Amino acid sequence: MLGEFEYLLLSASARLGAEAYGAAIRQDIERATGRRCSVGALYTTLDRLEEKGLIETWMGEATPQRGGRSKRMVRVTAKGTREAAAFYGAVVRASAGVSWQGSPRRSRA
Amino acid sequence: MAGEPAAKPGVIVMSWRLVDQVARLLEPDEREAVRGDLAELGVSSAWALWDISGLVARRQARPWTDWRPWIALVGLALPFGMILSIVSSSWAHRHSVYLWLYVNNWTWAYFESPGSRREFFTVTASFLTDSLTLICWAWTIGFALGSLSRRVIWMTRALFSLVLFGGALGSTPAAVLNPAHAEVFSLTFYRVVLPVILPTVLVWLPALWGMRRGIRPTALPLHQAMLWAAAVATLTLWAARSLEMSVIAGWWFPLAGSPAAIARWEWRGSWPLRLLPLAMMWPVGYLVVSAGWQRWQNRTLIG
Repeated sequence: MLGEFEYLLLSASARLGAEAYGAAIRQDIERATGRRCSVGALYTTLDRLEEKGLIETWMGEATPQRGGRSKRMVRVTAKGTREAAAFYGAVVRASAGVSWQGSPRRSRA
Repeated sequence: MAGEPAAKPGVIVMSWRLVDQVARLLEPDEREAVRGDLAELGVSSAWALWDISGLVARRQARPWTDWRPWIALVGLALPFGMILSIVSSSWAHRHSVYLWLYVNNWTWAYFESPGSRREFFTVTASFLTDSLTLICWAWTIGFALGSLSRRVIWMTRALFSLVLFGGALGSTPAAVLNPAHAEVFSLTFYRVVLPVILPTVLVWLPALWGMRRGIRPTALPLHQAMLWAAAVATLTLWAARSLEMSVIAGWWFPLAGSPAAIARWEWRGSWPLRLLPLAMMWPVGYLVVSAGWQRWQNRTLIG
């Protein structure tokens, strides 16, 4: 079973497709969650997902925008797609019949 | 650099230099990708430093989740660094006495008398054997350290060096306290310089050489490992008594009659001390086992 951040990373990589690399994934996750994503969490999770065979990474092209430095490109593997789909399915099933929209905050007595 | 202001005040330039310095602790490919990401995102130098430091901390912490670096640290660097520190210091002081004797009183007449000739060769052979023993111990310990703590070798190497040079610091071996040797150890060379030179040349450098070999992904060929094992076993047996005596009398000997000194003297012949020569052979045992394991794996793959 994937972890929450692993799922976010796989989703961002799948959404970005051929444009999936460190900085783009980080921006995508920050946009989706509204939370800051640290470089440490991003790159160590990329390593973990690659060790599990859920993604493939390679060094891509360098651009002037990046000070002439290369990108670490990311592609979700077939196994990664299956794992992400399974995680999403589990979240959907677990959420069935639950509406979080407009849920009242628990007040302290 | 893109993502950084065109006109950079000195503080910003300095902080980006600091970011680059911290980033040097990362693997080259990762450093390239991360620095590129930070440039593209246009983060401030403070955030970049925070981000890179976080990644470096995670990378440095990761190898410690494995048991091997801990074995290297607790089972090798600390105990063997200490033992080699005591033994090399003790042997350096012991050989200083003979060195002083021959250097200050040299005469070719030593070779004319059979007794003094034999003593000269015995002393020389003893020095050479002790030196070779220290080199072999240090190399095999260095190899095991390198092999067990590849990614954190800088830390185990630093700790080993610290314990080696600091372990016997401030202690006084029995040889120095002997009033008969007062003239020898009144000279700075024999009291201070030689006890630093010997551990450096006979322990530290061979250990670094062993570490360089140990961090390579391949183990030693089995026949080489067996040769090392035979050499270390022979030399250790040869030096066993001297090793025990060095541990008893080679470290912190302020007063010959003090309770601590007497207690240590009474420790002579006890079973932990008898096991010490055996303990000195565990790094070479690891060397043989890793070589044998590699050979077995290669055969299995070919088969």
